[in-house]
Amino acid sequence: MKKIIACCSVFLLTALLIHGPAVKANAGTLQFFANGEELITQGFLPPKMTKDGWTLTFSHAFVSLSDITAFQTDPPYDAHSGQPVSAREEVRLEGIHVVDLARGSENNPPVFVGEVKGAPAGHYNAISWKMAGDTQGILAGYTMLLTGVAEKDGQTVDFRIRTAEESTYRCGEFVGDERKGFLKAGEVADLEMTFHFDHIFGRADRDPDDPLNLEAVGFTPFADSSKVHEIRLEGMHIGHAGEGHCSIEWH
Amino acid sequence: MNTFFKIYFPLTLAVIFLHGGHISVHAHAVVAGFSEVSGIEITAAYDNGQPMSGGQVVVYAPDNPARPWLTSTLDEQGRFAFVPDYAVPGSWSIQVRQAGHGAMIHIPVEATGLEESVAGSPQVFTGLQLSLMIACVVWGFIGTALFFSRRKS
Repeated sequence: MKKIIACCSVFLLTALLIHGPAVKANAGTLQFFANGEELITQGFLPPKMTKDGWTLTFSHAFVSLSDITAFQTDPPYDAHSGQPVSAREEVRLEGIHVVDLARGSENNPPVFVGEVKGAPAGHYNAISWKMAGDTQGILAGYTMLLTGVAEKDGQTVDFRIRTAEESTYRCGEFVGDERKGFLKAGEVADLEMTFHFDHIFGRADRDPDDPLNLEAVGFTPFADSSKVHEIRLEGMHIGHAGEGHCSIEWH
Repeated sequence: MNTFFKIYFPLTLAVIFLHGGHISVHAHAVVAGFSEVSGIEITAAYDNGQPMSGGQVVVYAPDNPARPWLTSTLDEQGRFAFVPDYAVPGSWSIQVRQAGHGAMIHIPVEATGLEESVAGSPQVFTGLQLSLMIACVVWGFIGTALFFSRRKS
């Protein structure tokens, strides 16, 4: 009987040893990027000035990101629902990540945030993240800081705009020139957290009655360079997945 | 607040019938026949009801979901119709974009046409579940072996 138990135990261990690496082998690396797009890397330049006619160029556009999580959802997550994401697989990038969106180049605006190795293969078709105040450094206690130069009618203003508001974005699949998030075993895939700053400043190249411009505050409220301006973002929808909609939970 | 830019697809999974017509004239006559096919029509609009006229459409087939299967544009009413390849069943994805905003919808298609409802995904077991199943089967063998090898009293 002891021989039988020993043989079966060996068989069991062998099966587990064979199966274990097989599970891990079906994994790859998932990278996360943040993107302020051309309006940050190049600025609000003619004809895409702010809705009140300012040109803006950014020296920095810091955002503080945490709880960055990618999901494999089936059925696909509906961001319009505003509900928490229900997923069969999820991959989380740990930590608080302060990213300067202005670091992106003109031709390649996305900025690398971090990566998770050993992510299960599959299609990551939803993403969420939190705008959370950093505990130290330039964004200590704040979630966003914009610095740069504004110009209008010969007037030049050095601006500093920041907010401490915290929020969670939940987005469906990335919408853009190409689909993202297809992770194959042993390969690398990426996802993007996209920020549309024209939702804050508006766009002069759009109709004044365009809902985007009706909701944006423009730049004029921040045209006093003697102080750091606090902006209230609640109600503005700057976070996207490419061009895809996200729901927002304000904290 | 920015709900205007939520793009809704009052998606009509209705089967549409595309009809050709007969043309019957004499000199330089054009002879056209018709066939009846079923397809998919989508409608995309902003949530204030404004049609997404002229928006870009990209269709992805389930057998190669990262590569566009078809590209086109929405008409004035924000509509677009196409006939999927029913030899490629699965979830067909359609992306619409315009002026920096877009959305994607997913349409389940089976070999015989549209599925009546969104089907759940096939059951996929996690590594832990598979390991437990293997362990249970093996210990079942052990129990069986012990049963037959027991000493008779």
